[in-house]
Amino acid sequence: MGKKKSVILLIVYTLVIAALCFICTVSFSYGTDNMHTFSSVMRMVQKDADLGLAYGANADTGAYLGGGYSAVYYPEGVISAKEYDDNIRDMSEEDAAEYAAQYVRYPDANGAIYLEVGEACDESGAVNAAFAAAFEDSLATVTERYASLREDGVRVDVADGYTIRVFVPAMMESAYYAVSLYAYIGEFGLRTGDSADHATDIFGIRAGETVADYVEKVTSGSMSGTSFVEIHFTEKGAEALSAATAGAAETAVTLYFYVGDDLIMNLSTSEQMTEDSMYITGTYTAESAQITAKLLDSAVHTSGDALSFTAGDAFFHEAGYGANTVVMLYIAFGIAFAAMMAFFFIRYRRLGFVHLYTFLLFTCAMILCAWAIEFVYLSVETFLAFLVACVLLSASNVVTFEAARKEYALGKTMASSVKTGYKKSFWKLFDLHIVLAVIAFLTSAIAVGSLQVAAFVLGLAVVFSGVATLAVNRFGWAVMMGTVRRQGAFCNFKREEVEDE
Amino acid sequence: MNKNKLLPVWAAVSAVLILAGIVLMAVLGFNTSLDKPEAKTFDVYYNVVVDLDADKKAALEAHCEDAFTQAGISYTEKETLKGVSAPTGAQNGAFNETGNDFILRYTFAADTGDGALAAAKTSLEGALAADTAFAVPAETYVSYAGVAQQPMNEHIWRGALGIAVGVIVALVYVAIRYGVGSALTGLTACVNDALLVLSLLAILRIPVYAFAPMLYAAIAAAVSAAFWIVRCNKLREDAKDPAASGLSAEEAVEKACRATDKTVLLTALILAVCLIVCTACTFATGAVLVFAEALLAVLVPLYSSMLLAPALHGKVKAAFDRIKVKNARYTGKKRSKAESET
Repeated sequence: MGKKKSVILLIVYTLVIAALCFICTVSFSYGTDNMHTFSSVMRMVQKDADLGLAYGANADTGAYLGGGYSAVYYPEGVISAKEYDDNIRDMSEEDAAEYAAQYVRYPDANGAIYLEVGEACDESGAVNAAFAAAFEDSLATVTERYASLREDGVRVDVADGYTIRVFVPAMMESAYYAVSLYAYIGEFGLRTGDSADHATDIFGIRAGETVADYVEKVTSGSMSGTSFVEIHFTEKGAEALSAATAGAAETAVTLYFYVGDDLIMNLSTSEQMTEDSMYITGTYTAESAQITAKLLDSAVHTSGDALSFTAGDAFFHEAGYGANTVVMLYIAFGIAFAAMMAFFFIRYRRLGFVHLYTFLLFTCAMILCAWAIEFVYLSVETFLAFLVACVLLSASNVVTFEAARKEYALGKTMASSVKTGYKKSFWKLFDLHIVLAVIAFLTSAIAVGSLQVAAFVLGLAVVFSGVATLAVNRFGWAVMMGTVRRQGAFCNFKREEVEDE
Repeated sequence: MNKNKLLPVWAAVSAVLILAGIVLMAVLGFNTSLDKPEAKTFDVYYNVVVDLDADKKAALEAHCEDAFTQAGISYTEKETLKGVSAPTGAQNGAFNETGNDFILRYTFAADTGDGALAAAKTSLEGALAADTAFAVPAETYVSYAGVAQQPMNEHIWRGALGIAVGVIVALVYVAIRYGVGSALTGLTACVNDALLVLSLLAILRIPVYAFAPMLYAAIAAAVSAAFWIVRCNKLREDAKDPAASGLSAEEAVEKACRATDKTVLLTALILAVCLIVCTACTFATGAVLVFAEALLAVLVPLYSSMLLAPALHGKVKAAFDRIKVKNARYTGKKRSKAESET
């Protein structure tokens, strides 16, 4: 490569990397009174429930990415002690006495909840066996629904025996939707009529039958950017639906979808539905379609005896590991990066710049992917995966540099040394990267939750590491070496000294 | 002493630890106390009409601390929860902050006495009633509750299955590139390392987050595979060298391992140093144990790569070499028979 061409390429290469580094890592405010904020890509990357950072144009006013939301589900017959106190505070003495007789504080005089006499317990405060059993059923349903979301950080707790605390990560775009919908417990119902109040069940479930005899399952999916909920009917269910929508061509028929007594959604159709599956699109995102499908699917298998819940006030939790953890991770990365560069500059002198450029490009590519790929987010797990790939890239570059160093020591020209060095180490590094990428991607394909994302990040980083070390690094080397005359000194490579006989 | 002769020792160490670990995993599971599967929470709800400034928030916390001291209890975690409400204008959106509902939540160990919590509650209610700063603008409410986490175990078996499938498929590639013997040793090392990491966590009852054991197992399997590929590369390189043809299988493995020990050790050292730096930097945060425990996922593969895998591969390579020689002799006989017939 000619010197002029090398210099031009080096300048372009440097500018590209500088621009990428700027976009990926630098955030600043500008405009009158710093009204506007430029957020770096790194700042906009989703953080899991354990990490978090002030984010975006409103960062200074508390906008926060990361953390999560919690809410308490109160079953029928249970209210919070605060609600009880709020209700009774302004009542007349007579009303207060009547109200107080309806409830018993649980589990003791300082308990955080009140149980309704008759519904949940007797006058002495002993919990009804039927209520306890129904609560267990409903708890299992709620737990199964949240578990099926497979979101990192989702958690379900039982508080004080008869309330449920749920937690969802803030990175879920439909967090509110999930928390509000999953409180509904009961059998799936599909009704039709002039209005929701006058709608009647289309299945006409007989004694000894359940809704599962009419609806097989409910799933969700996405096609061409449109997300949908798909209801799969059994033969009997399809017949009932066909009969219910028989007159739709003349007069539009409205279908109401219920879980227990709660209306989840309705839709109008102007044609008879004769298929055994129904697609519902609406305004769903992939996540909200999944939430709705899981809700309806679990309702298909829920008995009519289950308790429904009322979602209490919701609260935002900041990062579980502490608000400074992200900053500390950046500092740790900075220290490791500085130590790595010190090693490369000491051992390989200015050849260290080749590794620096490769490494920066690799890091920027990973940051851009973490931002652009919807299900990837920053967590301690993904950071660990990235760290492993960083070590792999650095070790791979050392292998190629050392291979070239050995060739150069034998007396070859620098171009020949680099070529032979790469030739000798290509398949070693190729095999290493392939094996690691296969392990990572297959683990990611089968695992769920944080391991799925961390394994995907590892796989992606291993692929980038392979490309970086086998292609980008060699390109950088060729460009930089074209700009210097003493190439051996540039790389801190020395010839083997041969003693004269 | 020749490393290869110690194979029974390394195999026994691994087998005993893994068996004990599997039993403990089945009976007790992992020590997931970091996730607080059972705890008691003490909530101080406050609703402010105007902003409760930093001084008043600090005063509220001081009242809580005093109440806990008087009751003789100490909390393990403190957090401030901000009230949120339904999204406005978007059907499926996230929550909106209300701006005036807060909960100061203290988490206590599950064995904290209800009597002590009740005493703290009474004491705190008294202190807040006596402090005029909290009459206006704040409305406060104190409660406590026992909390039990519901198990969600799908991630454990799916993670284990994912790692197993990943390792097996990757080693099919190793079998094609380096031979079946190398793949079998690599598979043994990877499975050994993943299981050994899980076993050590279970046996030593090291406190972990629920997600962590499978993550460490996956990292151990990946690091183990990487170390083994380094060894395999050298073995393949040596096999092409005519000077090495006179070496026995065990000598060839030992020579290759000697030549690559430095690479493996240095790589493990760099990984370990990175983890130590992360541990030091996150010392004051909840992530510190994640990084500290991840050291296991580097040290265990280092053990198997330095001791177990070379010793095992000496035997495996010898067996496969014998099969190769036998097959070559059989092929040679068949060829000479065919030649004599023609």
